Amino acid sequence: MSFSEFLQSRRADARALVTELKKTYDYVSVLGVDVKARTVSANNRLTNIASGMDTECGFVVKVAGDGVFYEYSLDDIRGDLGVLVDEIHRSFRFSKALQLKPIGIHDLSDEPLVKSFCRESDLDRYSEEQLLDYCKELRDRINAKSENLLNTSVGIYTMETSKLFVSENRELDQSYAWVNGMVSVIWRENDQTVQFGSGENEPTIAAVLEKLPGVVEEVLHTAHMLTTAKPMVPGEYDIVTDTHMTGLICHEAFGHGVEMDMFVKDRALAKEYVGKYVASPIVNMKDGAASCVSAGSYFFDDEGVLAGDTQIIKDGILVTGISDLSSALELGTAPTGNGRRESSRRKAYARMTNTFIEPGKDRLEDMIASIDHGYYVCECDNGMEDPKNWAIQCVAKYAIEIKDGKLTDNWFSPVIISGYVPDLLKSISMVSSDCKIVGAGMCGKGYKEWVRVSDGGPCVKARAKLG
Amino acid sequence: MNTIIEHLKSYNADFEYKINRTRKESYELFFVKGSLETVRNTDNCDREVTIYVTHGAYKGHSSFFVYPSTTEAELDRLIGQTIEKAALISNPDYALPAAQTGEYAIETNFTDYDAADLAAEIANTVFGANTLAVTSLNAVEVFINRITETVVNSNGLHKQQQRWTAMVEAIPTATEGGESVELYEQVNFNALDLESLGREIADKLSQAKARHDAKRLTVTGAPKVILNSQELMELFWNFADDLSYSAVYNHHSVYKKGDALQTAPEGDRLGITMAASYPGCAGSRAFDADGLALTRQRLVDGGIAVGCYGSNRFGQYLGEEPTGVLPILTLDPGTAEEAEFVTGPYLEVVSMSGIQTDFYADYVGGEIRLAYWHDGETVRPVTGVSISGKLSDVLNHIRFSKECALFGNYYGPKKAVIEGMNIF
Repeated sequence: MSFSEFLQSRRADARALVTELKKTYDYVSVLGVDVKARTVSANNRLTNIASGMDTECGFVVKVAGDGVFYEYSLDDIRGDLGVLVDEIHRSFRFSKALQLKPIGIHDLSDEPLVKSFCRESDLDRYSEEQLLDYCKELRDRINAKSENLLNTSVGIYTMETSKLFVSENRELDQSYAWVNGMVSVIWRENDQTVQFGSGENEPTIAAVLEKLPGVVEEVLHTAHMLTTAKPMVPGEYDIVTDTHMTGLICHEAFGHGVEMDMFVKDRALAKEYVGKYVASPIVNMKDGAASCVSAGSYFFDDEGVLAGDTQIIKDGILVTGISDLSSALELGTAPTGNGRRESSRRKAYARMTNTFIEPGKDRLEDMIASIDHGYYVCECDNGMEDPKNWAIQCVAKYAIEIKDGKLTDNWFSPVIISGYVPDLLKSISMVSSDCKIVGAGMCGKGYKEWVRVSDGGPCVKARAKLG
Repeated sequence: MNTIIEHLKSYNADFEYKINRTRKESYELFFVKGSLETVRNTDNCDREVTIYVTHGAYKGHSSFFVYPSTTEAELDRLIGQTIEKAALISNPDYALPAAQTGEYAIETNFTDYDAADLAAEIANTVFGANTLAVTSLNAVEVFINRITETVVNSNGLHKQQQRWTAMVEAIPTATEGGESVELYEQVNFNALDLESLGREIADKLSQAKARHDAKRLTVTGAPKVILNSQELMELFWNFADDLSYSAVYNHHSVYKKGDALQTAPEGDRLGITMAASYPGCAGSRAFDADGLALTRQRLVDGGIAVGCYGSNRFGQYLGEEPTGVLPILTLDPGTAEEAEFVTGPYLEVVSMSGIQTDFYADYVGGEIRLAYWHDGETVRPVTGVSISGKLSDVLNHIRFSKECALFGNYYGPKKAVIEGMNIF
């Protein structure tokens, strides 16, 4: 894949706009975004080829002036420069009736750098027709496996992202791709109907097409077992989490709380715990667009800061958080490359990218064998952060009972992990040596500002409240 | 838009089309600890073209976006490619909405204001609502949006609606004795009522203080639980989603017309109606993305599913009258007198992380961030507890308040009392 022709054609316009606005404002940047997303899917009743929800094309102009940041999002920056600049000047205003004062912006760093980045992919080597044929063929193969299937859906989602960042001293461009493949089924058995799915996520279509059939048996077995699942008896138990649930806990329970714009707003308890134990000494946690290649990977963030690889927890001690440009400025720290926007139409905040607990030294079998009575908690459904108060709500699809050190056939669903974050993280007593990072997730801040992220890690043994 | 239509009409092939043009202009203020941090303006316009190709008994569709950079030659190429893609899709045939024209302005009083002045008034009201010594608003965002949506199709349908919406996100915080806690508040509306907004924020600030003072709760037995309108909205939208034409057609739904949602009702009978608009509701609109006029639809009556709702396409697939994708859920008020809500012992939920429901597993539950525990004599704020129970039991015994409230895209009982929940 190559960098967007459209953004390339607007490079000189962006430079001219920055130069013109710089006559008035201390800091000026222009971010151009061109994302082409497509979805191809087939289920038992319908097939589909459509534009994906991430599709967008536009620009955002950011300046510092009057003690505040001003931003203007628009579709195109080509045209009469004078007219555009006047329009932008006119839009940068706030009412005299506003009774609140500007925050005051410190000097923004604008270190010189001119660089192009590209992560090769194979999106242009596959037509929608090929992808549709693949989806239909895999769907039919799955349907042939059981009469319990009410509906089977196979989908491929591709995203091709190009971004251009121009400030007075920087000119960066990047292009990269990501592919999600998904298999989901609706299964009826034992007078119960259940829904379950799983997927593969890779930088190339070829890798997803090769790996996706590998999830089918697991999906069908899980769907079958879910029809036998019983409600969880609320209580506190020894648990082992699978990689999905480790990722969800890592992301929701702790990750949101170390987004450093939350430090600036006094919205995160973690601010008081930098340099202190927040987890068991065998816990190490990272976040970074450069920490691995997954859904949250890029080369520079939406504020022109190069991607980072941030050690958040080292041997159980909170080392640092992750920051966007303005929170780093306010806190006097170096930005970590986590300034992300939902799109060119939305504000940048400090956001997670690829967030995970690092692998340990234990074996999953030994972790399960160490539990007399507890649960193996699997497959994340959703979660909700509470960084100020460190309350947890992480929902798992199911849990399998462990008795006398062995997994049983007793399944429970759904399962909610709740409690207090440090209690949970400090209770981690074993960490497995394998590690998987799952790149199919979307993350909101509060109830909005959705960005693509990955999370994961090893299996961990802990003690938690289940309901 | 006209250029796109001209190219579609002059393209030499047999197909139908729809164009969705959405222009969104916004003015946004972002505050950090009471100071203005960022001012944002947006002016963006999306033009999405959907092409439909009928072949035999089948119809396929596919779409593309037109950007300012799209040249007329590229437009022709995109039309040609999209016709080919649509022809690969073999879904059952259906008819696009018939010719109809109209211009609609969703009722609002925002048009009386300049966007910057309106945002300032809202921000002043939000911050002015904080009158407690120990509370603050550590982060506030104010969005004013003007959205103009146009739908055109090859049958001659051409409709436009303009909607104004406002969103306030506020983080009420209470700090005392070196300990600080917060709650989350998001208010969406399309009619300015500063008094009501101020009251809402002041209530949340009081609740943040209550959360600061809250203790963990240990209870035995299963006392009754009071849910508020936010939890009722989350709970009953699950039923509305389940009874949509697309969910039914794709076998995603658990319920179908004629099914009893309440199998042995001993409380109030459920009544759910989907609506197009409600005064003050930011979700209000005149037509959906197909340009289909929205028709009010009764989904549940007397606890029985009596109807479904949804888009032009899935309605036709099911042989039902398309109602359009209705944006607002209204729930019938109940019979419970105020006295029923205030006789203890009971747990009055104020804020949850989100109410979780699983129709398949017959489950409802969630983590409570703030509730008031009424033991019959005293009232105290509690936190760090969760609730869980059987959804079918909850539905069979639920009692709704007579008093109604608007919350997000929900209008219905302000409170409900449920029983048989585990509190842990």
